[in-house]
Amino acid sequence: MSRLFEFRFIILAPAIFFILLIGLYPFVNLLITSFQNITMFADDTSYSGFIHYERLFQDGRFWGAVMRTLLFTLVALPIQIALGLGMAFLFLNKMPFKQVLIAIILLPTVISPIVAGSTWRLMFDNRFGPINQILGWITGTDVELLWTVNLDLVWPAILVADVWQWTPFMFLLLLTALSGVDEEQLEAASIDGASKFRIFRLIILPAIMPVMAVAILIRGLDLVRLFDIVWTMTQGGPGTHTETISVYAYQVAFREFDVSYSAAFALIIIVVLTILVLGFLRLVEVER
Amino acid sequence: MSAAGSKNNTRKRLALGIICAVVFFFPIYWLAAISVKTPDEIFAYPPVWLPKSIDLNNYYVLFRDGDVWTVFNSLVTAGISTVIAMVLGTFAAYSIARYKTGGPNFSMWIISQRMVPTICIAFPVFLLFVSLKLVDTYIGLILLYTAFNLPYVIWMMRGYIQDVPIELEQSAYIDGLGRFQVILKVVFPMVRAGLFATAVFTFIFAWNDFLFALILTRSDVTTYPVQVTGYFGSQSTFWGKIGAMSMLGMLPMFFVVATMQKYIVRGMSMGAVKG
Amino acid sequence: MKLSRRTLLAGAATIGLVSSASMALAQSAADIAVEAAKQFAGTELTVFYEAGLQPLDPINFSGPLWEELTGIKINIVEAPLDQMFTKIIQETKAATGAYDILNVIPNQMPDLALAGALEPLDDYIERYGYADEIAGIGDVYRNNQMTVEGVTYGLADDGDVLLMYYRKDIFEDPEMQSGFKAEFGYDLAPPADWQQFNDIAGYITKTMGPDVYGAGMHFQPGNFQYLFQERFRVEGGTFFDADTMRATVNSEVGLKVFNDILADIEHMPPGVEQWGFIEMLNAFMDGQTAMTISWPPVGRWTAGYGSDTEALSWLPETTVGGDVGYALPPGGTPELAIGFSLSVSSASENKEAAYLFAQWMNSEEISLQRVQLPFAMRDPFRASHYADPEYRSRWDGADEYLDALQAGSVSGLLDLSLIQTDRYEEALRQAIGRLWAKEDPQTILDDLASQWDDLTDRIGVDDQRRVYADWASKPNAYPN
Repeated sequence: MSRLFEFRFIILAPAIFFILLIGLYPFVNLLITSFQNITMFADDTSYSGFIHYERLFQDGRFWGAVMRTLLFTLVALPIQIALGLGMAFLFLNKMPFKQVLIAIILLPTVISPIVAGSTWRLMFDNRFGPINQILGWITGTDVELLWTVNLDLVWPAILVADVWQWTPFMFLLLLTALSGVDEEQLEAASIDGASKFRIFRLIILPAIMPVMAVAILIRGLDLVRLFDIVWTMTQGGPGTHTETISVYAYQVAFREFDVSYSAAFALIIIVVLTILVLGFLRLVEVER
Repeated sequence: MSAAGSKNNTRKRLALGIICAVVFFFPIYWLAAISVKTPDEIFAYPPVWLPKSIDLNNYYVLFRDGDVWTVFNSLVTAGISTVIAMVLGTFAAYSIARYKTGGPNFSMWIISQRMVPTICIAFPVFLLFVSLKLVDTYIGLILLYTAFNLPYVIWMMRGYIQDVPIELEQSAYIDGLGRFQVILKVVFPMVRAGLFATAVFTFIFAWNDFLFALILTRSDVTTYPVQVTGYFGSQSTFWGKIGAMSMLGMLPMFFVVATMQKYIVRGMSMGAVKG
Repeated sequence: MKLSRRTLLAGAATIGLVSSASMALAQSAADIAVEAAKQFAGTELTVFYEAGLQPLDPINFSGPLWEELTGIKINIVEAPLDQMFTKIIQETKAATGAYDILNVIPNQMPDLALAGALEPLDDYIERYGYADEIAGIGDVYRNNQMTVEGVTYGLADDGDVLLMYYRKDIFEDPEMQSGFKAEFGYDLAPPADWQQFNDIAGYITKTMGPDVYGAGMHFQPGNFQYLFQERFRVEGGTFFDADTMRATVNSEVGLKVFNDILADIEHMPPGVEQWGFIEMLNAFMDGQTAMTISWPPVGRWTAGYGSDTEALSWLPETTVGGDVGYALPPGGTPELAIGFSLSVSSASENKEAAYLFAQWMNSEEISLQRVQLPFAMRDPFRASHYADPEYRSRWDGADEYLDALQAGSVSGLLDLSLIQTDRYEEALRQAIGRLWAKEDPQTILDDLASQWDDLTDRIGVDDQRRVYADWASKPNAYPN
């Protein structure tokens, strides 16, 4: 029995060692630094209390970034799910060239978000990109929309880029989930005369819920951490109009080198996110 | 549904499917097109949709100037870290799945490690790497990606392993196989699809990373996303190079998607339910 | 008389001193640097450069040449322009010693010096007798881009200045001239002030549009903030009240400038608000715009200089070669936007060798060659560069080009430089972005002023006042 004890720890230990190495030191460092007062010019390591946390709480730019990020997440996520679901239904049954088409559709998901952002910056460019041209053909007029400058257009532009990149991911997850739905149940229900909508709501939806939950969690988390696409398309501009939490965090940490402030910033984000995610996971576990 | 009706249906779906594929592929086409345009074509207004010829000069320049090494760097760091993460992570997952090591809270903690936004720990990690002399080294990045991906591997593989009927293992024990052998010869083959799917996504996460690579490399181990952003200059935007480098960076991923597609789909359907 | 040993030694020392002194006088700074650096042969120096075209110089020219002369290997690390400050401070904060020689943007020098990233150079300059050749650097660069509160931290190495480039053929066209004079009452010539700029741009757009627009500039906030800084001061604005250290950028002048800029956009191609450097350059080279204000490479590249080199093969062909005129922008005080100085990292383990490389690169002999490299991004900055007969004959109009650059080096305006300049510039960039997004100009300016005031309060009013006073007292901070 004691041999059993050792075995399960031995095979676990290397992984945990790695995780701790990268996970523990930064966390402890952030904790300590957030109570000091290190800035770009001063390495003041004396205990400074909660001044950075207070400042964070009163930092309008911080709350702005939080609001924007949450708003964007709440808009982008349902769109990706809906579109992904629609496409999944489309590809559910047999179709010629199915494998090829799926492979093509998956491409945006496997490229770096930096490349995706750069690509869409190019696409939306007034001089070098085709989007304005295409819009011009559709509307029959000259379209000179400035997608990375106009306040009303920047978020839609970022939305398009993100939806383009991640809908295929949703599509794949939901496709596999839909393929796992019990065929017999579906047939029985349709023989009984149930409407398509009822079938969806009462049979399909519950069956794919576990997968949807995973998808929502992963994508939701990624959206809250949105950085790469915004960085290549607008760098948070115009002004701070598209500044997400990560972009502002980068600003504070690596442009202003407000080391202690950014440590408090980082810590709060980590703690809040962890609580939210664990809460979500508990919820999902309980449901099952 | 009648046979004729379903054929129509299939045709409609095929048409829609093709439209989907075109829409999603179009930006990639644009990127590929710009990578083979001549400078005059790149700067032409209105933009040129179909390049008159395929000018491979941009690619040639990337090879000549050595920029293409960054793709190699990405391959090495993402690839090796994936292998290490898969090995260590799967064994760790087995320990948690079968022995419930650490209890439910422990696995929660492991998952929470993946939740951390990169930017939050970037600077502390940099300081750590400075003291360990790991900045701008292959080992440093590999270590980092391994550590960052382990929670995901453990989480996913735990689910796949739990799906394997324990009777299989028990009968293997009875047959006289040792614990390691049971894992390798009985469990691994059963979760092969899951292994592939998880490995692919682990690789993608490391491959696509930007922020860590930006902060932790200088010139020796620059990865390809960092290289691409370097082409956006204050007095020059090398769209041709951006296009070419992006395409080169996509090539391994095309390959992965094409060959692994079967496994990805199967793996996801198996593990997705358990999550 | 038998000389005592002491006397002999003293005598030998004196002779040695005299001869080496005279040798020093005869030797150029470049030679001195090479001689002194030879003792470090076998070591490696890391130079930190802006990514893109800039590093082509050390990669293809100065690096290999230096290695040949001294046996010291040069290693280059690049970063995009907006990453340079970050990377330098990052390495400084962690005391890594990763870089030896730094390319420093002059208006960031106070911050870098204050953060302890830069090594004071006065001792080295004296030791290696570089003061003479420093005197040959253009006034404005020498007096303003090398020191912080009296201490030398860098060698000014780049003559960045925003000149006006215009289409000589359009301006000298008799029909255009007579038509313009008839309408506006003065001769068609490069605009002397911004009202003239608007007149001329409008007239050209009216008569030649939509094929040719009067002007087109790079409106991207990162680039445009320099144009704004210049125009604001030319129109009489000051950034701060020197006594209270409150921002005065939202004064009437600020509002006028913002509104005037919006009026100018009417005479520029649609979509100009999105233009970066490349779009602006491309439009001018294509003949689509008649005037622009930008960095010196525009002057070289539009004339076709260097277009046959590999490094510039990504540039499209110029269609206006031979028709490009050079002038000072309206007001006659061009912005010395960005620029570079060579500094030594305080954490370097090879400070002396690093300094010697910097001196060598910056010296009369070597810098003259560097600024003439066809793929060079370093612009002329020494009196000898402007006067060099070989350079002046490199293309038709090169002499005018160099004259304009030299005029700029006398009257040019400095970029604003304070403690944490980057933060102030960030706020300014954001304000400009908001202007293109069509928000109300007064609101934007008021917000900008209040952001600047918040920054000043956070940094410390007294400290900032001191640094601002130091900057504002420089002859090229405000037009006289």
